[in-house]
Amino acid sequence: MRSLRVLRGYLFTVLGIAIGVAGLVALGAMSERIVRFIEGGDRFVLGQISVAGRGMGMGTGFTAGGILPAATIRAISEVPGVQGVQAQIMLPLDPSTSQFMTVTQELVLGMDLSVPTPNRHYRTLPVRSGRFLRQGDHKVAVVGASFAASRGLSVGSHLMLEDEGYEVVGVLDRMLTAPDRFVMVSIDDARAQWVAKDRLLRTVLASGGMALTASDLNTGAAVGWRDGDDPDAVALRIKERVPGVNVQLPSELSRLLRSSTAFFSALLIGIGALAFVIGGLSLANTMAAAVFERIRDFGVKRALGATDLQLGREVLAESLAVTMVGGLGGIGLARALGWFIDRYLAQAQQLFHFSPRLLVGALAFSILLGAAAAIYATARVVSLSPAEAIRRGA
Amino acid sequence: MLRAAGLVKSYRAPAGTPIRVLAGVDLTVKGGEIAVVTGPSGSGKSTLLNVLGLLEDGDGGEIWFEDTRVSALGRAAKSRARGRYVGFLFQSFLLLPSLTALENVLLAARYVHRSGPATRRRAIGLMQEVGVADRMDHFPAQLSGGEQQRVAFCRAVLNDPPLLLADEPTGNLDDANGAVILDALRGRARAGAAVVVVSHRPEAAVGASALYRLRGGVLESP
Ligand SMILES: Nc1ncnc2c1ncn2[C@@H]1O[C@H](COP(=O)(O)OP(=O)(O)OP(=O)(O)O)[C@@H](O)[C@H]1O
Ligand SMILES: [Mg+2]
Repeated sequence: MRSLRVLRGYLFTVLGIAIGVAGLVALGAMSERIVRFIEGGDRFVLGQISVAGRGMGMGTGFTAGGILPAATIRAISEVPGVQGVQAQIMLPLDPSTSQFMTVTQELVLGMDLSVPTPNRHYRTLPVRSGRFLRQGDHKVAVVGASFAASRGLSVGSHLMLEDEGYEVVGVLDRMLTAPDRFVMVSIDDARAQWVAKDRLLRTVLASGGMALTASDLNTGAAVGWRDGDDPDAVALRIKERVPGVNVQLPSELSRLLRSSTAFFSALLIGIGALAFVIGGLSLANTMAAAVFERIRDFGVKRALGATDLQLGREVLAESLAVTMVGGLGGIGLARALGWFIDRYLAQAQQLFHFSPRLLVGALAFSILLGAAAAIYATARVVSLSPAEAIRRGA
Repeated sequence: MLRAAGLVKSYRAPAGTPIRVLAGVDLTVKGGEIAVVTGPSGSGKSTLLNVLGLLEDGDGGEIWFEDTRVSALGRAAKSRARGRYVGFLFQSFLLLPSLTALENVLLAARYVHRSGPATRRRAIGLMQEVGVADRMDHFPAQLSGGEQQRVAFCRAVLNDPPLLLADEPTGNLDDANGAVILDALRGRARAGAAVVVVSHRPEAAVGASALYRLRGGVLESP
């Protein structure tokens, strides 16, 4: 009851702190979101050796481009150190999207489900509802969380891919990394889509000039290694022994990913630092102003016999309550803002990630800074004589 | 109860030249006595009360509360001495705006660790005596000047301090309210407190044990 009134006396202080903390948390949540994305990508590329077909001249890398024929996949699986090769097809859903940061694209991922996923860090993908794909699935799809949200899909929904209907049998948890925007299907379904999508491929198949069968239609493979083997060494061995492939060393791919995201990382550190400085300054300033505003009250309390210690304790308790309420309010405000933006403005892309470490960190930072500012201001105020404090506050 | 000897206090003018406000003030007020100090504006009356009540340090001289030379105490001990010995009344009341009338009165007990149901009863009893008990849940902004000063009086006497220092306690009040406060101060003196009142009102001198005039930085008996 009394503490409620104390807070009412500090209403503007609480509001000021809430707004400062909200800014800090919102910026922090955006940076956490991107950090999670980069980390997720890094974990992915470090968990497998990625092999792509070389050749057809339509671009290289993850997405549609080269072909990795069945014979090549067999050859890879015979390289010493290799354990588990999963043929895959990656098709950009909308080929016109730029290649910049391909991992953020919407992709159809066809997986050979007769082989367990070789990626050490993503043996299985977390399913939120329904189930994951299994061998023998036909015309069914598992979709990533963002993909599902952007199209209003849930288990049982139907989805058209290259003019064929698919039933959604599973929706993944939000992973805050690439698979959020994936549609996963069996590799046979993906092959059919590829052929339907790619006129050049149809021409080649029709001419019979390359003697391709369906099992040759793979854009790449995820390759695992035996426990104890060095993935980079295994990747190099594949490169040496199997012609016609693009092999990425996991460590090199990770480095590449990091350097291509280095700009974002730096930007985020900058934004984060700025958020802390601006949010922190505004919080400290608000708190100190709240104390200076009560300079006359301090004089009166000292006239009534309050010692510096008693006043310090009082101010500390009040600043704690004020920054706690303001901090929690700010976190609530930031979350509401983030929810609103993600829901209505971000086209189902999650832009904010309110990680526990961010929230706890922001609250602890606010409380400590608020207490420090309050104590500093109190020390300044009690350095005046009570008579002077009363005169100045008049 | 109160003994001051050779109090000296100077302020520095903005230009840097010292302004001598107190130039050796001697004053003794026993329990049960009321000393009334008058003097022209700017003569240093408020300064004297502030120094006597340890709200401001003098540049020289000694102050004794009973057998304690309080002018020589450290910061924290001075604070405790204020809480234990002195009750203040100010011209501008100085109630805390965020607290109710009753809470303002009880604030006096907080720093001397006397809060409790008995103190609360005593506070309400004091407020009844001066006729503001029915206003105890009001905030200062909801009270008239006379009511505020009565609340401030209850706060000043809650701990039953042996010394009361009142700086123009009726300066912002009408005659009727001023009389209530002066009466209440006389009542405290009868109950054994030493009281120092700074006032321009001739009525303040009624019942005074001693009348002083502050001039040239020293107290004169007119
Ligand atoms: N903090 C200060 N700094 C400089 N000079 C001061 C300060 N406080 C008071 N003075 C000066 O000391 C003198 C005495 O001031 P004081 O307030 O004690 O007078 P007073 O007798 O209470 O006057 P009044 O009757 O108007 O209240 C004045 O000349 C005033 O200008
Ligand atoms: Mg004065």
